[in-house]
Amino acid sequence: MKKISKKGMNEFIQSLMADYIILAPASTDGIFSFKPVSNFEQIDLSYQNSKKPPKEVFFPQSETMFNYKNGKVESTEKVKQKKILLGIRPCDARANILLDKVFAGPDHKDVYYTNKRENTIIIGLGCSKSLSTCFCTSFGGGPFSKEGLDILLMDIGDKYLAQVITDKGREVLNHKFREATREEVRLAEKIKSEAEKRISSRVEIEGIKEKLDRMFEDLFWNKLSQECIGCGTCSYLCPTCHCFDIADEAVNSEGKRVRNWDSCMFPLFTLHTSGHNPRPTGKERMRQRVMHKFNYFVENYKEPACVGCGRCIINCPVNMDIRKVLKEILEV
Amino acid sequence: MKNPYLPIPVKVGKTFIESEDRMLKTLDLLFLNKKDEENFKFIPGQFCEISIWGKGEAPFGIASSPTERGFLRFTVNRAGVITTALHYLEDGDEVGIRGPLGNHYPVDILKGKNVVIISGGFAFTTLRALIKYLLAFREDFKDITIIYGARTPGMLLYKEELKEWERREDLKVYITVDEGNEAWQGLVGFVPRIVEKMAPSPKDAYAIICGPPIMIKFTLPKLINLGFPSEKIYTSLEMKMKCGIGMCGRCNIGKFYVCKDGPVFSLAQLESLPQEY
Amino acid sequence: MQDVQRKIREEAKNLLAAGRVDLIIGFEEASLPLRASPVFIHNEDDLDMLVWNSFCENNLATYLTKVVGRKVAVVAKGCDSRSIVALIVEGQIKREEIIVIGIPCRGMVDRRKIEKEVEGEILEAGEKNGEVLVKGDDFEGVFKKEDYLYPSCRTCKYRNPVISDILIGEKIKENTEVDEYAEVKEYEKKSIDERREYFGREMGKCIRCYACRQACPMCYCEECFVDSSHPKWIEKGLDSSDLTIWHIMRAYHQAGRCVDCGSCERACPMEINLRFLTKKINKEVKDYFNFETGLDIKVAPALATFSPDDRQDFIDSGEEPAGESQGKTKL
Repeated sequence: MKKISKKGMNEFIQSLMADYIILAPASTDGIFSFKPVSNFEQIDLSYQNSKKPPKEVFFPQSETMFNYKNGKVESTEKVKQKKILLGIRPCDARANILLDKVFAGPDHKDVYYTNKRENTIIIGLGCSKSLSTCFCTSFGGGPFSKEGLDILLMDIGDKYLAQVITDKGREVLNHKFREATREEVRLAEKIKSEAEKRISSRVEIEGIKEKLDRMFEDLFWNKLSQECIGCGTCSYLCPTCHCFDIADEAVNSEGKRVRNWDSCMFPLFTLHTSGHNPRPTGKERMRQRVMHKFNYFVENYKEPACVGCGRCIINCPVNMDIRKVLKEILEV
Repeated sequence: MKNPYLPIPVKVGKTFIESEDRMLKTLDLLFLNKKDEENFKFIPGQFCEISIWGKGEAPFGIASSPTERGFLRFTVNRAGVITTALHYLEDGDEVGIRGPLGNHYPVDILKGKNVVIISGGFAFTTLRALIKYLLAFREDFKDITIIYGARTPGMLLYKEELKEWERREDLKVYITVDEGNEAWQGLVGFVPRIVEKMAPSPKDAYAIICGPPIMIKFTLPKLINLGFPSEKIYTSLEMKMKCGIGMCGRCNIGKFYVCKDGPVFSLAQLESLPQEY
Repeated sequence: MQDVQRKIREEAKNLLAAGRVDLIIGFEEASLPLRASPVFIHNEDDLDMLVWNSFCENNLATYLTKVVGRKVAVVAKGCDSRSIVALIVEGQIKREEIIVIGIPCRGMVDRRKIEKEVEGEILEAGEKNGEVLVKGDDFEGVFKKEDYLYPSCRTCKYRNPVISDILIGEKIKENTEVDEYAEVKEYEKKSIDERREYFGREMGKCIRCYACRQACPMCYCEECFVDSSHPKWIEKGLDSSDLTIWHIMRAYHQAGRCVDCGSCERACPMEINLRFLTKKINKEVKDYFNFETGLDIKVAPALATFSPDDRQDFIDSGEEPAGESQGKTKL
């Protein structure tokens, strides 16, 4: 376990800036996102979490895949500069591991995603003060979970403790990081266990997948989808959602191929050119969202596609609450 | 690492309007680079994402067999932006393809077995690929029966090849139309009816069926009645696709991605899936 | 509030029991403080879920175009009732197929404004005697409700439902003195560069989630122009020109149709100031056609009607004014 003073953090960041772009939480009109920073003072670590999930560092909402002109294609897959993602929360870091299963699977590698992943060092910040909408512990995560992180920082008041998790993380440390004392380590344990106890929102996920196996035709979905207005807020703010659209933006035969986030909640998502739509109403689309996250994804990758970050709950315009949905599924 | 999204350059070769309503057109695509052609190894049933520069990409089943060297054949139904653009292409125009994508017809399982191929309308394209392949290795397969129907004689695909196949002694070919004309000498009747009439034997046989949903809906019961078990009936699904490699989520049904785990599925597999296609 | 809530449940019970409706669209308690959650109620056992408070911020009229053909009762504030009139006037719902449970409204609480006033997460909230009480881990707060209303509520001139089958609660004196276009006028004073900067900054936050469009009762088009691929009007990404067209066109499509309920703004996860465009358009419609949306079920929408007396001074004929002083256009 290492430690670094808050002043030391600033020097640490300064030293990295020569070789890395540093992305850290910054606020615009009260909404947080990960932006390039040039010194520690620009970082507002009083933040709870970013509005949009940091998956957009590896999987941007709108990304040009390649440009073309006269039949000649120029890909944008090459990463121009390494990045440091500083201050990511453990839930979002875990979500990246889930996304890896989709984008970096055995059959094909999405080079746009994987190149960015490989060239980014992820320094997380543990959550000493979680929100009432956080339920990461129900999904195998936690406020100080190490999954998906290269270094985990823990704020203990006047300094940060830093747990180095991977070689990638170790390489980037500098002399400003000292060994933490035994007392400081004990304090870290205390903070961690208190933070875990603080997560008050618990969701039972045992048996959800099996229950859903039998629920495809259930009237439950008719009822559930009624209040949903069919926007894409939950999908776009979810750190594990990965659906996207590919389209060409061009004039005559010169242009680019772009991929943009998309959502299974939109009617256009499965609409065939013939007019046939396998998921014609909100009911089928709501069912797809829940089934994909808590059944199909589990079938393929053994884990649900949810990390309990709570963004969908906080931002849904009509207060649809996935915790309530999961509870009701078990009660059906 | 290979970027699975980058199209390979190809150019348009022969084109041919198949149907009397001019909505079905066949195009041959030729690789611009010999290396690409050598590396492109596929099996009937697979598809490609064809890119039209300036317009976009769409998935099309490969209508030619890997045994037909020098070109990839596609038959395109004109319906939207990309298919219309494909229809306007001429000899020499350059486009891109990504592939081969998806799984394929179970040609290995079919070895030494009787094969019954049933199709309707425009869905016949990838079955042409399969038939050409089976014929190239004719001794590996036992009886081959083809039942193919279209709305009218003018709507049949690959008319010249159909005539050739009808003349062969080692194929049982039944071409039918919903509505004949004066010149039409062949069978008249919907495909499910003809299947019932010709009653192909399920003994040691596999059925491959591709067609519009309504044809499949009425033909499957006939096959089941004849004694074909659902594990031995295969079909190819059509779905809206974008990435073609199982990541964008669009063609996700149940735990499968039609572009990656399909588009060829056995009926047994389909029955285990949510009926959302 | 409690009284209104009790009466809503009673009326809903009577409606269901008498078979006059088979669906009640109202609000239930939310899973988060300072919120209420739209709820669809089909049977009498669930009626106790219905609530009424100052957090019922959604415009429930947006659901009416999705339940066409069913006998529905819907809870409606002043603004919501005007949306209902607008939908009837546009032929999207039939008057006789809905029962409007109208509720005179003193405004809804702007939860974001209150959240900015406290340090830490609000865990509980309630209201009493015109005050909103909030509680967090280590803080408590009391806020005067009328100081923390949503912007559209602060300048609301139609707090009493303009249409209702059942009216619950006492009618409220309308606020005729307030200048509802004060903010628009401030914006109009900005220079072109300042406007461009403000517009770009706000629209740049957009993530194309379409929560604004889905929350709005008047956005009921089966195919929205942004989803059209043939012709393709705009792309689907975050390019500033696409975001610009998306928001400007959405505002224009609201001309003579928007009731300024504020649902778009409240739904937007990025907290974009969406009303500054639509409010400006509302002002233009008022100035040019003396029309406000959703007040009279017998009056067609302003942009769907033509009258020979319509103002024409905004039309530039392109002719050179003969002998006129500069700056005046004459037809």
